Amino acid sequence: MDHAEASRLMATEKYLLDELPSDVREQFEEHLFGCHDCAMDVRAGAVFLEQGKVALADSAAVTVPARTQATPGRFAWLRPAFAIPAFAVLLLVVAYQNLVTYPTLRNTVAQANAPQILPVASLVGAATRGTNVPELAVHPGESFLLPLDIPPQSAFASYRIEFHNPSDGVEWSLVVSAEAARNSLPIRAPGVAEGGQYQVVVIGLNPQGEKVSEVGRYPFELQFAKPANSQP
Amino acid sequence: MQFHAFDSHYLERLRAGDFRTQEHFVAYFSELIRLKLGKRLHSRPEIEDARQETFARVLAALRKEDGVREPERLGAFVNSVCNNVLLEHYRSASQQTTSAEEEAGANIPDPGISVVDVIANQEMQRNVRHILDQLPEKDRRLIKEIFLEERDKDEVCKDLGVDREYLRVLLHRAKKSFKSLYLKKMEKTALQE
Repeated sequence: MDHAEASRLMATEKYLLDELPSDVREQFEEHLFGCHDCAMDVRAGAVFLEQGKVALADSAAVTVPARTQATPGRFAWLRPAFAIPAFAVLLLVVAYQNLVTYPTLRNTVAQANAPQILPVASLVGAATRGTNVPELAVHPGESFLLPLDIPPQSAFASYRIEFHNPSDGVEWSLVVSAEAARNSLPIRAPGVAEGGQYQVVVIGLNPQGEKVSEVGRYPFELQFAKPANSQP
Repeated sequence: MQFHAFDSHYLERLRAGDFRTQEHFVAYFSELIRLKLGKRLHSRPEIEDARQETFARVLAALRKEDGVREPERLGAFVNSVCNNVLLEHYRSASQQTTSAEEEAGANIPDPGISVVDVIANQEMQRNVRHILDQLPEKDRRLIKEIFLEERDKDEVCKDLGVDREYLRVLLHRAKKSFKSLYLKKMEKTALQE
């Protein structure tokens, strides 16, 4: 290979880019070691690439923190463009909480802490298939008491008390130990939104908490009390 | 580095073991040999061993009575010795060196980095940085991904919507911008030495 051919082939660039086939590479190297122009060309190219790597690596290292700064950080929302609308929204939320939410909560808490007389539907002695279904008048959402006697049986380790709605779906349940079940159980039931015939179902459980058998069903009629001003 | 013509006087000084001439000779061919070896060997120690071995054999051969007598063939001779070293390396991982070659090897000037080189390097680096800064973002990314990140060339070219010819021309232009300064620095370094 002579110099003209090396130039025509862009052999220097191809050599630096590892693009020459091995036989052409051998020919170029033979020429390269004897040609000052090509040797300087290759050396300059190699040095440029080496130094370029350093420069690019440095600029990459500098760019990273710059990008980090440009990226919205933890306190980016404090910029006026975001902070002013954000604080306005927060003020609205605070105002709503102070004017609506907290008074309601306070009333609820006050009601819960104040002594109350709760509606009661005594299930003591209620017959599973009996015709005397106790009736209970409550306001929608109002809690009520369900005193319950579970017939003492030694076969169960504990009992699960289920509260069934008129569709026989389980609204809630709780487990009591056999020892606790020896006494009358005054159950405070959460208020419901729908009237109708509800049932308390008592299920006997084994020591592993598995159902053994149903102990009894205690139906009662839940009626919503009419508002005072609805009377003609 | 100033270019000294590889003439009969140069060859005589080299054969006589003139330190300056040997230093120039080693500095001139070291980078070429490293590049050549770098395309065939994979570790720096292997490359460095082969480079040292090449110079040891070349200098030992030059001192022989029947050594190289045609100065214009000096470069080709260095290349052929390097090829032999490579062939032997391929055949055997452990190289056997003769005591004479070891002796010659001990006198090989160290082409390591001097203070002058460091200063020259810093200036070259500034120049390279300036050239890179002048490039469009796409070209800079092309160089970065191929040479710094060592990604597959075809893949990078495809990602950036260019072909291999574009890459060659880009390297050619960047190298051309850099070469004049590089040559000046080489000459300046040689004069300061």
